[in-house]
Amino acid sequence: MEWSLLAQGGLNGVMLGVNYALIALGLTLIFGILGIVNFTHGEMYMLGGYVAYYFFGHFGLNFFATLALSAVLVGALGVILEKFIFRPLTKRPKLELTSLIAAVGLAWVFQMLAIIAFGDLDKNVPSAFKGILRMSGVVITVERLATIIIGLCLVVLLNVFLLKSKTGMTIRAVAQDKEAAALQGVSVDRITALTFGIGCGLAAISGALIAPIFGISPNMGGEVILKAFLVVILGGMGSVPGAMLGGLVLGFVESFGCLFFSVPTVMVLTFSIIILILILKPKGLLGHA
Amino acid sequence: MILDVKGVDVNYGKVAAVRNVSFSVSKGSIVALIGANGAGKSTILKTISGLEPCNAGEISFQGQRINGLSPQEIVKQGISHVPEGRRLFPEMTVGENLSMGAYLRKWGGDTKNDLDAIFEYFPVLKQRIRQKAGSLSGGEQQMVAIGRALMSSPKLLLLDEPSTGLSPIMSQTIAKIIRVINEKQVSILLVEQNANLALTIADSGYVLETGSVVLEGNAQQLLKDEAVKSAYLGI
Ligand SMILES: Nc1ncnc2c1ncn2[C@@H]1O[C@H](COP(=O)(O)OP(=O)(O)OP(=O)(O)O)[C@@H](O)[C@H]1O
Ligand SMILES: [Mg+2]
Repeated sequence: MEWSLLAQGGLNGVMLGVNYALIALGLTLIFGILGIVNFTHGEMYMLGGYVAYYFFGHFGLNFFATLALSAVLVGALGVILEKFIFRPLTKRPKLELTSLIAAVGLAWVFQMLAIIAFGDLDKNVPSAFKGILRMSGVVITVERLATIIIGLCLVVLLNVFLLKSKTGMTIRAVAQDKEAAALQGVSVDRITALTFGIGCGLAAISGALIAPIFGISPNMGGEVILKAFLVVILGGMGSVPGAMLGGLVLGFVESFGCLFFSVPTVMVLTFSIIILILILKPKGLLGHA
Repeated sequence: MILDVKGVDVNYGKVAAVRNVSFSVSKGSIVALIGANGAGKSTILKTISGLEPCNAGEISFQGQRINGLSPQEIVKQGISHVPEGRRLFPEMTVGENLSMGAYLRKWGGDTKNDLDAIFEYFPVLKQRIRQKAGSLSGGEQQMVAIGRALMSSPKLLLLDEPSTGLSPIMSQTIAKIIRVINEKQVSILLVEQNANLALTIADSGYVLETGSVVLEGNAQQLLKDEAVKSAYLGI
């Protein structure tokens, strides 16, 4: 095995990992604050892909503006979903299962609506970055490199926001103790809606970011939500650093696995490794006891 | 009167937790609310701070009705609640917990002065400022909880069992600080199971039994009252 092939695998692993981390970060933020798994998350990712298809691919909007637009549009949709569907369900105690089923049903609704609105065929989104970079035998497209860099920037930005800004601190406070946060004067409902919007916006950005590389389809969210869920459990439910670490682990395992084995073998391997990690650390890599 | 509670009922579903409770806190005083487990003490505090709706009666603060307002609006008016069990944000640092207390205020000269005052009451917190709140000892956590509540610069402080789980010495320290805070024109409503401690520092007191006030009076009188002695002071 040549080292350049390994380097290639590493770069692909980083790209996949950053993408998984972005989606999982949104999922884990929402779980942390609402205590529910947002099964519509994959559909937010899919909608981000379609925003890229129409606004970047067809209307010729700048790619970065398209990314921002996908976050804003889908983020707003998230705020609406939280307010009118999830909030009434989570406000009543012991309805976790109901809200879970509502989320799964909603995911189906979005997928079917996407088929009706956009057609069920796969679509291609043109590449936003042209060219190829060669460094001592390692070949990487500028597109993939840009995807990695943009993704990493977003992860860093989100962390700075959560750790350093007042709103970020408030989100963490609400996730840790809603009632105590209310006693400090926080409008818990507003912060919850905002967090839901941010989480959905992150999923949309990763869908839009990856669309030129993988293409888009109405059911592209289905596989991704499972993987994001896996990443969240692997990292520790509700843990932000856990989602980042979990995303990278899954990205690397998949990417390097594909250098040596067929895709189904890689899937078996991936899940076995994750089950093993969870047997050793039931709360996930960085989960709290 | 800074706080007036008149004929308040609070129900959890169909269960009545507080029935026709009336009491008041005069400006600048410490009022103790004592009673056994489940008497409804915490429920009363939660109703004052807007966490629980009241089903009947009226609560007024500085002559204005506050029941029905959101917790946010009640904090804005100048009531701060240190909940039972401290309820810090455990994964956040002491500094972050304290600044969450000033959530509705602009950070500036006034908040910095308040922070300095808190470090004066509890010097140990200054060394713990970057430590996660969840990693502190019980006594230190209670200090952070009181400090956080003071960061909103309240006129009335609601304290729910600040001495629970603390050593006798630590309880005394907290009691002393409560008096110091009170001397700075902050009125205090103190809920305690430790009736002795509460009545020692309070001006007046109310005894609560199964959701109703059964006894009220001057704190010194209550300390000498035979019924209070046998039921709550273990004498
Ligand atoms: N969230 C709730 N839902 C239903 N019932 C509750 C709830 N909170 C309290 N209660 C009930 O209301 C009554 C009063 O409870 P409360 O917590 O106010 O008592 P307390 O005097 O603070 O007791 P303690 O000294 O144990 O803290 C109790 O019977 C309790 O079981
Ligand atoms: Mg209580």
